[in-house]
Amino acid sequence: MAERARLPSDVALRQGGRLPRWMPLQAAGLSIGEYARSLVRRLALLTALLLGGIWALDGQGYFWPAWAWLGLGVLVLVDFGAAWAWRRPPGAVRRVACVWTLVGVAAVILVCTWLLTWLLAGARSFWPAWALLGLSTAGSSYSLIALHDRVLVAHGRRALRARIDMLTRTRRQAVDAQAAELRRIERDLHDGAQARLVALTLQLGRAEVRVCDHPEVRGLILDAQREAHLAIAELRDLARGLVPPLLADRGLIAAVRSLAARYGLGTSIDADTHRCLAPAVESAAYFVIAEALTNTAKHAAAQRSWVALRDERRVLAVVVGDDGCGGADPHGSGLAGLRARVEALDGTLSVHSPAAGGTVLEARLPCG
Amino acid sequence: MRVAIAEDLALLREGLVALLRENGIDVVAQAQDGPALLRAIDGHKPDLAIVDVRLPPTFSDEGVLAAIEARRRHPQLGVLVLSQYVETAYASELIGGDGAGIGYLLKERVGDVRAFLDALQRVADGGTVLDRQVVAELLAGAPAGGAPRDGSREALSGLTAREREVLALMAEGRSNTAIAESLIVTPGAVEKHITNIFAKLDLPACDDDHRRVLAVLTYLRVPR
Repeated sequence: MAERARLPSDVALRQGGRLPRWMPLQAAGLSIGEYARSLVRRLALLTALLLGGIWALDGQGYFWPAWAWLGLGVLVLVDFGAAWAWRRPPGAVRRVACVWTLVGVAAVILVCTWLLTWLLAGARSFWPAWALLGLSTAGSSYSLIALHDRVLVAHGRRALRARIDMLTRTRRQAVDAQAAELRRIERDLHDGAQARLVALTLQLGRAEVRVCDHPEVRGLILDAQREAHLAIAELRDLARGLVPPLLADRGLIAAVRSLAARYGLGTSIDADTHRCLAPAVESAAYFVIAEALTNTAKHAAAQRSWVALRDERRVLAVVVGDDGCGGADPHGSGLAGLRARVEALDGTLSVHSPAAGGTVLEARLPCG
Repeated sequence: MRVAIAEDLALLREGLVALLRENGIDVVAQAQDGPALLRAIDGHKPDLAIVDVRLPPTFSDEGVLAAIEARRRHPQLGVLVLSQYVETAYASELIGGDGAGIGYLLKERVGDVRAFLDALQRVADGGTVLDRQVVAELLAGAPAGGAPRDGSREALSGLTAREREVLALMAEGRSNTAIAESLIVTPGAVEKHITNIFAKLDLPACDDDHRRVLAVLTYLRVPR
């Protein structure tokens, strides 16, 4: 902030030309503190140059201004260090930054003092070593104590994120496995119980032909056949509820076309998806569209209805709309069931159905 | 009649073969997947192919694709597609051009042996046989008092329950007598229902079973 604020002030000085270039201008929007810091830095530079000039004029000899430069340098360093520490977020982090600023300043004083005594008064052993070691140990210890809980929190947060990732992944696996399992059950019904019942009704038919002259037996056989037909019809309805056959056989777009044709709403279908969808996503999209079209046919009295399937990045967007009477209850039982189905896939379902008319239902299904 | 069968489940295939043989139908080939069926048809030149919708390797819609391909290669061949569920999408693909010599039935219809053999004969003779469930599904899309913007659907919702049943049986390609037997009413009553249906749907009256099926399908807007 101080860095940024100083630039326009310098520009203003140069443009105004009345004040000396080395003087900061309070009118440029600097706060009292920033003004004071800026002034101190400039005065320090001026003093350093002045002392160097006095030493040069005084006939040189022992280079005493070095000590004054060290003092002035430490002053500026404290100023920058404090500004840096103050920019840290408040609390433990800022306190640790203040401590490290002090440690840094002390280390600079020690090292520079040693450097000057070495340059000006001859070689000595590196005496600040132990002091530097003490300072860094103290700084590190303080940091460790002050930031200890933050480290723990960060660790906890990482563990939490890992758990969320794991739960998301395993839930998706469970949903996918469930969808695959439903398809397997549908196949098993088709090839197993349903096929056996068809074979049974076929055998009953053959028997029935042979007992034409025994009306009583024939009646029993026809009764048995009726029961078998009911069982077949029930199994067929069950299988259709698990996975609509056309969805299993030909995929989402063919199934949606058939659905739209069945309702006879003149639904326009805009399918812009070439992705190979997971069974769970395919089923969810299908049931969203089926429910929406059922509602349109039952309640909307619509002139126009449309379905759009769009591939977006890692998401399949399913939009079903009509220009009917609107006012659908977004918390109705049918929509609540759909929402549960969509949310199990980490998707979202939104219903826009103003009383003024028109209903648009949008499901967004992640399929990464 | 010479027939080729494509069905991957041995239980059903063998049952079907036994059923056909004891009714004097010659089963010339049995296949377990689409390509084998096409080879068998090329080799044996049967009058009719009976095809399951789900066949190996993917167990999705190979049967439909094989049936369409077989018809493309042999336009005179009748194809009866059997499935454990009906999809209007498959029905419209199978009917394709004029729908002649095509059947699409639920598998459990084999239980009614006489009706099934009758359907086989009609498909082999170039007729159209469509499961009543397909019609029921098309009608289900037209709820009573339903969609006002679609005139034909409004007319459909004006049919009585009995007329809907007759319409479904008509789409199956049945004759008036067969419809009467199935609904346990007199042929005269069936004729009256049919006249009513054609009047309500504003269709030209005709006696030919096959043309009648096509008129109904066109009316139901089974896309071609």
